[in-house]
Amino acid sequence: MHPTDDVLNEFVEETLGATERAEVEQHLASCAPCRATVDDLREIRAVAKTLEFREPPARAWSRLERAIKLEQEHLTQSAQSPQSQLTPRSRRSLREISVWLAAAAAVVIAVGIGYRVLPRGTTTSAPVASTAPANDAAASVSVEAELKAAEEHYQKAITGLEQIANAGKGSLDTQTASTLQKNLSVIDQAINESRAAVRAQPTSEPAQQSLLESFKAKLALLQDTVALINEMRKGNDAGAARIGSGLRQKG
Amino acid sequence: MDPDVEAFETMYREHSPRIYSMACRMAGSPQDGEDLLQEIFLQAYRKMASFKGESSLGTWLYRLALNHCLDYVRSRRAKMNKLTETLDAEHSVEPTAARQTPIAKLDLDRAIERLPDGCREAFVLHDIEGFDHKQVGELLGIAEGTSKSQVFKARMKLRAMLV
Repeated sequence: MHPTDDVLNEFVEETLGATERAEVEQHLASCAPCRATVDDLREIRAVAKTLEFREPPARAWSRLERAIKLEQEHLTQSAQSPQSQLTPRSRRSLREISVWLAAAAAVVIAVGIGYRVLPRGTTTSAPVASTAPANDAAASVSVEAELKAAEEHYQKAITGLEQIANAGKGSLDTQTASTLQKNLSVIDQAINESRAAVRAQPTSEPAQQSLLESFKAKLALLQDTVALINEMRKGNDAGAARIGSGLRQKG
Repeated sequence: MDPDVEAFETMYREHSPRIYSMACRMAGSPQDGEDLLQEIFLQAYRKMASFKGESSLGTWLYRLALNHCLDYVRSRRAKMNKLTETLDAEHSVEPTAARQTPIAKLDLDRAIERLPDGCREAFVLHDIEGFDHKQVGELLGIAEGTSKSQVFKARMKLRAMLV
């Protein structure tokens, strides 16, 4: 008889008592499938311990730097001007006008964060599992409404970033501009196809997820573009090269 | 550049790979990992003044990052309205042909992203981040035995993906 999962697990983790361990070893000596399982589990465990760190994408620091600057400016403005008497919402509006470029990036971050917490495969905060048909129908309406809201948020952020990117495209070299255009076309096609899939099957979770992921991809690409334009305008060749290289790798 | 931001960038360059890796693996996607990285370092920037040097900067940052990832996991779990993954019996031992090639790190890293949330979180904390089952249980708010089962389930699923 094969050892139970629990016993096998403890054997692999080397937490079994001496007697049980000896029993498993005796079984393994004559059971090739169990031996193969143990070998594989040990290897997975060993390789997992040696996984390397991943380097974050180059745009991650640019995003963070913009968010920090935005926050610094907000703190300075709040401390120095009569705007500190305004409501937080009013202060935010004024800040967004004064640092429009940075604010557009922050919108992207906010949208990304806002929708990131939605579980993959669904966009609703309603319970996923429901037994009553009436609840299913309500959840379905809720999913569609939230998807629509998410799409509007994404579209708003995309429109803002597109305006910035289009205005600054002259700063980009021909090859980079062409790569960006090609990538944007591919993503736009994915968005159109996902939209068609959602229209055909409004409650299909993969279709909804695909649409949201496509929007997210477009946001990330536009954000990279804006970061690249910013670096070039600042004359930061190293920063621009880092972002440009990332863009070309995606192309 | 603002000297504070410059110093912060130096810290970011040094520590972001470790934190980004954990965030990606806990979240199960590079996109979500990047958002988490952003939030973690923004929070670190805000809290920098409260860092008293009682531990190393790396330890302080890692703790902050871990807590943030766990908040994310709890939030996602609440939205999914399920506290733990259902423990099924699909991982009973079945005869399988032995693999001829060793497991590549890159393949394993990619396969981890495809694991169900519950068992991936336990696997990442136990097998990659090095916490024991008791600690994993405390971090994830599950029983120690559940941590063991989830990690085993994750390994078996990874095995099925990588064979």
